[in-house]
This record gives sequence, structure tokens and C-alpha cells, in this order.
Amino acid sequence: MSTERQGEVYDLGYQRYDGPREGRRRAQRAIFENGVRTVLGLGRGPKAKILPILLLVGAMLPAFIFIIILSLTGDGGADFIPGHGDYYQVIATILLIFSAIMAPELLVSDRRDNIIHLYLVRPLTATDYVLGRFLAFFVIVLALAYSGQILLLGGLLLTSSDPWQYLQDNWADIPRFLAAGVLVALFITIIPMAVASFINRRAYAAVVVIGLFFISSGVANGLTSHSETCHEITDQNGRGVSFECTQADEPVAGDAAKWFALISVGDVPTRINNMIFDREAGSPAEAAAAELHDSIPIGVYALFTVLPGFLMWWRYQRIRV
Amino acid sequence: MPPLLEAVDLFKRYGTTVALESVTFEVHEGVTGLLGPNGAGKSTAIKLFLGLIRPTSGTVRVLGNEPYKSVEGRARLGYMPEYEALPSNITASEFLMHMAQVSGLPPSHARTRAADILRHVGLDEERYRPIGEYSTGMKQRVKLAQALVHDPILVLLDEPTAGLDPGGREEMLELIRRTGLVFGISMMLSTHLMGDIERIANRVIVLEDGRVAQEGTVEQFTQETEDLHIEVDDRRDEVIAALAARGIEVKENGVLLVVEGANDAKYDAIRDVVADTGARLRRLAPHRHTLTEIFQE
Repeated sequence: MSTERQGEVYDLGYQRYDGPREGRRRAQRAIFENGVRTVLGLGRGPKAKILPILLLVGAMLPAFIFIIILSLTGDGGADFIPGHGDYYQVIATILLIFSAIMAPELLVSDRRDNIIHLYLVRPLTATDYVLGRFLAFFVIVLALAYSGQILLLGGLLLTSSDPWQYLQDNWADIPRFLAAGVLVALFITIIPMAVASFINRRAYAAVVVIGLFFISSGVANGLTSHSETCHEITDQNGRGVSFECTQADEPVAGDAAKWFALISVGDVPTRINNMIFDREAGSPAEAAAAELHDSIPIGVYALFTVLPGFLMWWRYQRIRV
Repeated sequence: MPPLLEAVDLFKRYGTTVALESVTFEVHEGVTGLLGPNGAGKSTAIKLFLGLIRPTSGTVRVLGNEPYKSVEGRARLGYMPEYEALPSNITASEFLMHMAQVSGLPPSHARTRAADILRHVGLDEERYRPIGEYSTGMKQRVKLAQALVHDPILVLLDEPTAGLDPGGREEMLELIRRTGLVFGISMMLSTHLMGDIERIANRVIVLEDGRVAQEGTVEQFTQETEDLHIEVDDRRDEVIAALAARGIEVKENGVLLVVEGANDAKYDAIRDVVADTGARLRRLAPHRHTLTEIFQE
């Protein structure tokens, strides 16, 4: 005996919603979460995930290499490889390239595709939007910055003959790299985002950011470096056999070199990092700036973060639908 | 019932340019058309209702709130812009889920809601394709879907059929009509196309040079101008003369004889004239003016 199954198809049409509504706080959170997903390429095609993966690997690779060297050389190797105080400088270029490419991805597309207009007619202000996008980007850059440091710390502990003793001797590095990480990530995040707030083409915005960091650094290092004078040394037959160079006592820009050092945008977070780790200057510009009172690099850092932050906020207050 | 949208003595100036001048009207439940030529002040009015700009003077209230003062009040308002405002590299499903959350819905509800709305606008099977691959008509539906995804009380639609081919236009109008009239979402439709308003709106507000020129129900506009169209196969001149003798003015429009302002007395007079003259009547029908005819006069 068989039973006949009967069914009907209904057109449900438009469904009303009577579930919870969480208002502006949910909207703020959605902007933040969507920002994180955009930067990591989640919910997008495979191509969008390549760059974040490469940059994560790039941020952690130096730590891996240092750990391998440590495991081969033992405790003695720790004196020769870069430590926590150097690590941000090692990965600064990677973080900067990441920021230069991804900040426009976060902001420019929303403006160019007019999505920002759909946001601003919802329970969300322009300030909420800017803050949500900034926090999303900052958290990811900070995570990238910390990832290598944490890996390096793990490697240093595990390769040490007495991990507990190592920790007792070097515990201060942990709050230092945590604090320096926040300051480096803040700086590396906010300038690219401010640039991306004003330029409507992603590639141009990325080029401007990279140019700003590298050109200013090149100019500052050029002006703060010490010129060299070389002359040829000849043998008794008058044939040149080698060159002898002497370095000038004064930098190219003379007494003003320490002030010219401040124009290097890329060195601003490095100087703060050096202060936190009580580390000696590396580049000519850093060395020249080290002559200044500590309050001046700190003031420059504050200026280079507060001003772009304000400009970004100001730009979005003027978005017109 | 309090009005969903209320403008009271609204002025908006941009420098020396007056965009809206002493505009007063109310929008209640149903579908309301905001009609006017380019530059009439429709876009300015929409921006004021969305809280994106402040009025120079006067009051605007949407769902009981002054929109530029209450960000939270926008949670029950939907907006479909005229221009393209969609991301190209994510799927419609992902986009709608996100927009539902930006409107305040929790993620689990946003997911269900996105699926429901995409089915409602006929994009159920296409929801996992990147929006960049959609046709113009499909993109227009996604724009409507994002305006509906949070189940608003009132939706503002700005030129919803702009850029669509005739087939796409019909489909979009039908979708809006169903959403507004069948499913009970109140809508305000800003357009310069009178045909669109005639198809889906039950009220119309006409803006001209920043002022309200006319306001009323669509039916009211068309009823007041109802005409009678008469077509006879012969004795046409005799019919015209006989009607004139009874004090009824007849206009000739091609093969048609047009009598303005139909009423029972005129129907009776036409019947009698046709019988008296022995003319062969081919057609006697009321003709309701379209909004296009009314506002173009």
C-alpha cells in the first residue's frame, strides 16, 4: 500500500522582522568587523587573501630565521642576532608596505563605490565610521607587529639553557615591546589612512605613502650623513692601487643636521622604539636626532599621529551624499 | 496616526541659491511620489529627510525624530540612491548581511534577513555571485534589497528606475509596487517620471522651483480631469452640432470627439444625440488623464 504525499508551495513574499535591534553600537561593531574582514580578504576571492598571508609570513619570517640561528649557535648566538629592541626596525618596511596597500583598500573603495553614502544614512556617524575602520586596521597591524616579537620571545626562551633565568634577566623586554608595538602600529596605521582619506585611487595613495616614508628618509639621511673625501693612492710607477677616504667631522647639513633628521617620517617610530628600549641610534638621521632633547622626538611623534588623525576625521565630516 | 514624515515651513538655502522655500507637507502610510523636474528640490528634500543636511529654517520630522539630531532614528529608515552604490568584489549575500548589521541587526538575524530579502527581490539563486558580475537590473534590485534588509518603516527611493531598459523598469516597478502596496512598507519615491508614480504611488507631491506646487492622491488628480471619448462612423458633424445645441462643447482629436468633465447628464445627452441623429456609435468611453498629460499642460 502506498501513501500519496501532498504538498503545496507558498510564496512567502516579504517577511517582516520583529527580532532584536541593537542600534548604533551594533553598527559601530559591524564597521570594525567588516574592516578586519576586508584587510584579511575574508569573504572575498582567493587573490584578496594572498597579500595578507604574504605579509603575515614576512612579519614572522625574521623571527623564524633568528630562532634557527639560535638553535644552531646556542646561548652565544643571542648576542649577535637582533633582539626585541631591533625587531620593529627589521619588520618596519614590511609593515609599511602592508599599510600603504591595505589602508586605501579599506577607505578608498567605500568612497569610490559610494558605499559610504549607504553607511551614513544608517544609525552611524562619520566619526563612528572613521574610528571603526581605523581600529580594524590598527588591530591587524598590531597583531602583525606582535606576532614576530612573541615568536622571537618563545625562541629565545626555548633555546636558552635556563629559560627561567633568561626570563628573570630580560622580563623588561616584554612590556617594552608591547608598548613600542602600540606606538609603532599607531604611527604606521594612521598616516596611510590619512593619505587614503584624500586620494581616490588606491594605487596613487599607496605610492604617496611609500614615497613619503622612503623619500623623506633618504633626504634626511643624506643631509645628516658625513661626507667622505677620497683620493687615489698610486704606486711608484704612478699607477692607482687603492683609494683612501676620510670622513668629514661635520654632517652635510652642519649644525642643522639634528633638525633635518626630524623630516624623516620613517624614523619617527624608530626613535620612539629606541627610547623605550634605551637603544643606540642606527641610521645617520637617527644619530643626528639623538642630539635633541627627548621631548622633541616625542613631540614630533605626537604631531605625526594627531595631525593625520585629525585630517582623516575632518575629511569624513565633509563627505556629502 | 501621526505622519511618517513631516515638513513644516521648510527652507533650505545654499549660499544665495534657494533649494527649498516654505515647503510644508506630510507623508502617511502608503506609497507617496515626490514628483518634479530636475532642480525642483527633490534631492535636497531627500537629504533633509535622511538627516544628511540641516534645514536653514523650519522643521523636518521623520518617524517622529528630527533626523539630523537623532542618528538612532535612522535605524527604521531605508534609502535607495539613484546612483550606483554597491561594492563589486563581494557577494550580494555578504553585502546584505553587512548592511543589515550596520542597521543594528545582530549577525545571526542579519544572515536570515539577507537571505529572505534576496529571495524577495528575485536574486535568491544569484546571491553567492560577486555583485560586479551582475547586470544593471540585478544591481538595482540589490540596491532595493539593502534599503529593505532591516525591515524599515519608511523607505526613500531616489529615481529607482533610472538607467533601466523598459523590461527592467517594469520589473522594478512591479517589485516596488508589491513591496509598498501588498506588503505594507511605506515608501516615498522621488522621480521625474510621472509614469512611475502613476503605476505605484497612491499619493503625489509635486515640487516646482523649491515649492510644493500640488499635492493629493493620484486618483484625485486623474478623476478631476476625466473626459469622454466618442467615436462615430458617420454623421460626425451632426453629432457635434447637436451636442453644441445642448450646451456641450466638443473638441476634435483625430477620429475622436472629446467631451471634458464626464457626468451623468453628459452621458444621457450623448446617448440622446446619437439616437436622434442615427449616427453609428463605435466607441463611448471615459478617458482618465495620465499624470503626464496633467502636468505637461
